[in-house]
Amino acid sequence: MSKVKRKIGTTPPGLRIVIEGVLLFFVLLVNVPFFWMISTSFKLGPEILAYPPRMFPSKLNFDGYKYIWTLVPFARYFLNTLFVSFSISVSKIILASFAAYAFAKIPFKGKNTIFFIFLGTMMIPMEVIIIPNYITLNLIGWLDTYWALIIPFVVGAFSIFLLRQFFMQIPQDLDDAAVIDGCGRTRYLLTIVYPLSKPALLTVGLYAFLASWNSFLWPLIVTNSDNMRVIQIALKALQDSWMIDWTSLTAASTIATVPIIVLFFFVQKQFLEGIAITGLKG
Amino acid sequence: MLKKKQLDNIQGWFFIAPPVVVFTIFIFIPMFVALFISLQKWNLLSPMRFVGLANYSKMFSSGHFWNSVMVSLLYVAGTVPVTVVLGLIIAILLNQGIRGVSFYRIMIYLPVITSMAAAAIVFQYLFEPNIGLFNHILSLFGLPPMQWLNDRHQALLAVIIVGIWKRVGYNAIILLAGLQAIPRYYYEAATIDGASRFQMVRKITIPLLSSVTFFVTVMQIIASFKVFTSIVIMTEGGPARGTDVLPYFLYKNAFQYHKMGYASAAAIFLFIIIFIFTVLQFKFGEKKVHYQ
Repeated sequence: MSKVKRKIGTTPPGLRIVIEGVLLFFVLLVNVPFFWMISTSFKLGPEILAYPPRMFPSKLNFDGYKYIWTLVPFARYFLNTLFVSFSISVSKIILASFAAYAFAKIPFKGKNTIFFIFLGTMMIPMEVIIIPNYITLNLIGWLDTYWALIIPFVVGAFSIFLLRQFFMQIPQDLDDAAVIDGCGRTRYLLTIVYPLSKPALLTVGLYAFLASWNSFLWPLIVTNSDNMRVIQIALKALQDSWMIDWTSLTAASTIATVPIIVLFFFVQKQFLEGIAITGLKG
Repeated sequence: MLKKKQLDNIQGWFFIAPPVVVFTIFIFIPMFVALFISLQKWNLLSPMRFVGLANYSKMFSSGHFWNSVMVSLLYVAGTVPVTVVLGLIIAILLNQGIRGVSFYRIMIYLPVITSMAAAAIVFQYLFEPNIGLFNHILSLFGLPPMQWLNDRHQALLAVIIVGIWKRVGYNAIILLAGLQAIPRYYYEAATIDGASRFQMVRKITIPLLSSVTFFVTVMQIIASFKVFTSIVIMTEGGPARGTDVLPYFLYKNAFQYHKMGYASAAAIFLFIIIFIFTVLQFKFGEKKVHYQ
């Protein structure tokens, strides 16, 4: 009887507090590296070497940030990364939306086969084709240019897939009406479909931006000059040359991380829902 | 005047032309080129020389290669089960009608969106044997300091810990979405039948979540076989090749030793491993959630 009386599907307050405690502990645990990164980036040399380690810097010390901004062209690396990531996001939104629209709404010859082949590209990991791609870029003389960082990623099967799912939900009548009215498909896509699909387009752009900002292997291989360096590779280069200057290294890491975290806080709802949906739908 | 059908064909192909071109140049052709180069001896400078399967036979009789296979397998075995189980526990806890779920979701997801290069640098500092935070924490529990990145086996453990940290949030979020899709009345019925909380998790949640769990497991296996950035930053495959995972083995042979043919053979090997898991995913993961 008492069990039936227990309110269905709710958690008793005592247990809830325990669960929240466990989750809070876990959240603190996974965020230790972030805390440590930011705290260290403001510490002075002697504080870095202190043992036992100090939780907080004795005072905010900006030497690390000053070093990376003056001793190396960190601003250049930052702008390179921003430029590359932004270009990729924008082109992915545009090119993927056209392809996705074709797959969702236009009955053209070979559509299903091509869509299947496109999906297949997601099965091929970048690690495997990196040598041929390096050779291709070498042949066309694109190594160590923005082209090398951008062009291979201007469109992706994942973005097309995601947008196609979204466009398919737009009623076909709307499409037919537009075509009969003589409104060209391009104009229809830009003036009607785009405004309807803002969340999906934004999601595609965000994924692309994030992936590009954090990418490491590809820029490591196709760029080597200082002018073309992106922030992730700069971290590696700083680490090679400064080794144990943890203040500067963590300052650089903070700058490489914080913009993404801030962006994420603004769009997290969309982002996490996108992950859940795409995760479940494959 | 074009017929509608012709217009559709032209427009359809016009719209998909950019990805067709990009994928052909940067994905499809390279797949065949990788296979082709794996049959050559080539250092980028001198002309290619066809050597048949020599790169493969050299690879399969190389101790360094098998070491990398072993290290990769250990890395996968060390990260995947923990990320899945931990992800599942967190997802279940998040699904208990607690307050502030969105706060936890965000905070747990932060490592996933963080740059691995930056995280690896910070972890390197945390693992530092003399001044690092982790050894300090060990000492607070009266435990002896560890060598971490200076020791062959402990270095692998260290990169495994970083891998777990990076990816557990992804699993938790996806598994939570899976949990939320389980109809409530299953639990309601079980409650009326007098099932305990633990029984419900074991008899309802876990079985109904099996397909989503399978999905995240395979995703994690694939991701773990591709681990690279943390290795480059934290260990460079060492000490004594203790963390020389397959992608790093490939990278070193291709871009440091310029053994393009040999490295391509390793790439094909890596592809086959990942391909097997991807096919498993497509075959058995087709319908990921089915309750009724």
